[in-house]
Amino acid sequence: MCPAFGSLRILSRIEGSHPVMATDTGCLYGLTFVTHFYGARKSILAAHLRTSELMSGEIVESTRAAIDVAAKEPGCQLIPVVSLCVAETAGLPEEMLPRRIGDAEVVLVRVPAYAIHSHPEAKDVALAALLRRLGQPEGERDDKSLVLLGEVFPADPLIIDAVVRQMGVSGTITLPGRSIDDLRRAARAGALAPLHPFYKETTAVFRGWDMPVVGGAPVGASGSYAWLQAVGRLLKLDPALVNATAESERDKAQAILNAQPLSGRILVTGYEGTELAYARLLIEAGADVPYVSTSIGADPLVLPDEMWLKAHGTKEVIYRKSLEDDLAALDEYKPDLVLGTTPFASAAKERGIPALYFTNQLASRPFFLSGGMAATIAFIRQMLTKGAQYQWMQEFFEVDHA
Amino acid sequence: MPNVIRDLSDTSSYWAAIWTICPLPDAHVICDAPIGCFNLVATAIPDYTDAVPHIENVTPSVIREGEVSGSGTAQTVKRTYEALRDSGILSDKRLIVVSTAESEMIGSDLSDLVTQLQPGTTFFHSESLSYDEWLGRDRVLQWLWDNYGAADAAQIAPEPGLVNIIGPTYGCFNAPSDLHEVKRLIEGAGGRVNLVFPYEATLAGMPSLAKAQVNVVLYQEFGQTLAATLGRAWLQAPIGIKATTEFVRELGRLLGTSDQAEAFIRHEKKTTLQAVWDLWRGPQSDWFSTISVGIASTRTYVDGLSAYLGDELGMQVAFKAYRPRHAGEIGNEEVRSLLHKSPPSFVFGSINEKIYLSEGGKRQTSFIPAAFPGPVVRRSIGTPFMGFRGTVYIIQEMMNLLYETLFNFLPLDSAYTAQNGGGLVSRVGIQPVSLVWTPEAKAVLDAALEKMPFIARISASRELQMRVETVAQQRGLKEIDAALAREVLEK
Ligand code: SF4
Repeated sequence: MCPAFGSLRILSRIEGSHPVMATDTGCLYGLTFVTHFYGARKSILAAHLRTSELMSGEIVESTRAAIDVAAKEPGCQLIPVVSLCVAETAGLPEEMLPRRIGDAEVVLVRVPAYAIHSHPEAKDVALAALLRRLGQPEGERDDKSLVLLGEVFPADPLIIDAVVRQMGVSGTITLPGRSIDDLRRAARAGALAPLHPFYKETTAVFRGWDMPVVGGAPVGASGSYAWLQAVGRLLKLDPALVNATAESERDKAQAILNAQPLSGRILVTGYEGTELAYARLLIEAGADVPYVSTSIGADPLVLPDEMWLKAHGTKEVIYRKSLEDDLAALDEYKPDLVLGTTPFASAAKERGIPALYFTNQLASRPFFLSGGMAATIAFIRQMLTKGAQYQWMQEFFEVDHA
Repeated sequence: MPNVIRDLSDTSSYWAAIWTICPLPDAHVICDAPIGCFNLVATAIPDYTDAVPHIENVTPSVIREGEVSGSGTAQTVKRTYEALRDSGILSDKRLIVVSTAESEMIGSDLSDLVTQLQPGTTFFHSESLSYDEWLGRDRVLQWLWDNYGAADAAQIAPEPGLVNIIGPTYGCFNAPSDLHEVKRLIEGAGGRVNLVFPYEATLAGMPSLAKAQVNVVLYQEFGQTLAATLGRAWLQAPIGIKATTEFVRELGRLLGTSDQAEAFIRHEKKTTLQAVWDLWRGPQSDWFSTISVGIASTRTYVDGLSAYLGDELGMQVAFKAYRPRHAGEIGNEEVRSLLHKSPPSFVFGSINEKIYLSEGGKRQTSFIPAAFPGPVVRRSIGTPFMGFRGTVYIIQEMMNLLYETLFNFLPLDSAYTAQNGGGLVSRVGIQPVSLVWTPEAKAVLDAALEKMPFIARISASRELQMRVETVAQQRGLKEIDAALAREVLEK
């Protein structure tokens, strides 16, 4: 995946948002393709940047023309201008673009993949740009409300919302989501809870609004317990209520882990930036996870998960990993199941090892708290039983029995 | 007036270069690219166009900020080469370095650098900022011949009966089926397939392109320059009954196997093509003149489909959108507004047309994939558009979709519809989550989701949720309890 896609993934899914891309033909083709596969059924506009436009310095003019067309889409309220490698190299000055057109805000999002490094970080850059423009911190705060930060399976916010309300949270807003209004009102919430550990810039924007930040994420039994306690403390909720909820969640989660224990060795790798949290849940459920790799860089936000993993048997945690790192781990650890990118998963399948494309299979299931984890664990349990089938396929295609 | 692109249909000549060179197993490419341009062209897109897990013989130089802001790409290309060399990957390969839009943007010309890499390494300047994928493929095929074929081909004499096929490359819609059928036609006409270039060729084997007596160019979009250079008679692969018959006849004439070609045509009429004759004599053809089709695809497919479906079977061709688009032809903007306003009964196209149909809420139109972009598995050899088998496959596909439409029109007692909750809500408004779901209500929602096939659940979860929330909002409720969830989801 091109790292810049992270931005389009979230920008294309917002209702009323019509992204305009500024880039060359090949980049545009590829990113439009994946947006139409993973993002939204949404027509994508772009400035046509070829040699002729670049030589004559028409980038701004072309981009403005595309913005004009986008503004005419029905219900258009937001036009993110996504500036990619070629446009960034040539230069696209923000002050030359309109800030508003008709009913729509025009927000420049600079995500050249040569500088962004990873898909999750592009999500962060895009969301931070939107919040800086749209966030409305003025007005009354809802001190007991919570912003959930992270692109999660649609059922997850429901699950989390229901549980935190039991302990007195007044409501939740999930970002990035599909509502522009959520971007505005999130600035007046009581606290920010990053469910994923790579929203660095976005978190900084919230801190700028004096919003406290909850550490960790509601993952697994111990993680959920600690997270609910942290939310309670930050929002100054009734400790007795918080305790009761946190304990009940921990017990429910533990019951699921006990009822569906995992056994086997799993490599957890991917480019989503959420790999450490998944590894943590799998270990709690009993799996051996010696190796975890991710596309994001090391950061204080991921450190607690890394330390937890290292304390629970994980030998290697690799940031900004390469395919070669993962392949070496495949040799070293001989896993029973691999979660990874497509090239890595296919390398595992070529050896007869069950493997899944992390992005397609894991991010499409509920995950958080006791209500979410069951689906993920059941799926992994099922995959761990598939060894014979993967081996049979591998032998059929790769071993010459003649 | 600057040119605004809506849903780009054709990629760049950099992509063309990778997709044309990499089918040759004894080539290894270093693309002078930022990581994303590599990931998209080698993995993320061919996963869903060609159904290949990843293209293995290409490695990126990984352009980063440093290269962009001044250092240029020569050093990183050199390091990439050294790592490949040390890993042994290059031992039996020839190395080709390919430029990208970004490397061209920062002015990186590596013609000199390649002379310092493995002997024989070449640099292909893809001109990605100027050319599209079609011209790109045409250029790179010719360039490959000039650099890896022509010199050794001089002493090769043509062999009677041998036929080359030029095309496909990666990223050519439906290529396995069309290729298979064209091979069958060539053999039917009395020829033997020599080389399928580049799909089934090697760099080392390229000179043998000169052995063929006739060349068949699979697509109108590229390959003609090479065919002309090779200097033998060449034919364009056919779509439709007439074009295919003429193709077989002409090939027979060129190869001196006319009797065989005629016998093949006679035999095909009694076998493969019998299905078309049966459908024509049956009730199906009565529908033909009532059917309208819109076609957005490559020139090859648009011309072929409109000749077959329009001229030969008598359907109405509502619009033709060609790729690449030439001046004066309709583009996506026009196609979109046509599909929003008055869509035909069938649309052959890419994911773009599919999106326009869903924007317009046009559920009665049947969509048939006929072009990239868009994810589609076309690896079976049983779905050709070309040749005699293509005529049968296309009409079979259309008739089955027509039956489907007819089925959906048949009345269904409303008692069943009500029992199933009235079908899924189609339009879902997006509102911030402000309603509370009790855990019991959530369990009811989960149970309802459990009943659906997994694939459907992903999109249905939101729809089911919204359906309950809509009712709750209508009633002014703040909380959703199990009773309400059950009422809406289980009625
Ligand atoms: S690496 Fe840059 S130019 Fe290439 S696809 Fe990604 S954003 Fe576009």
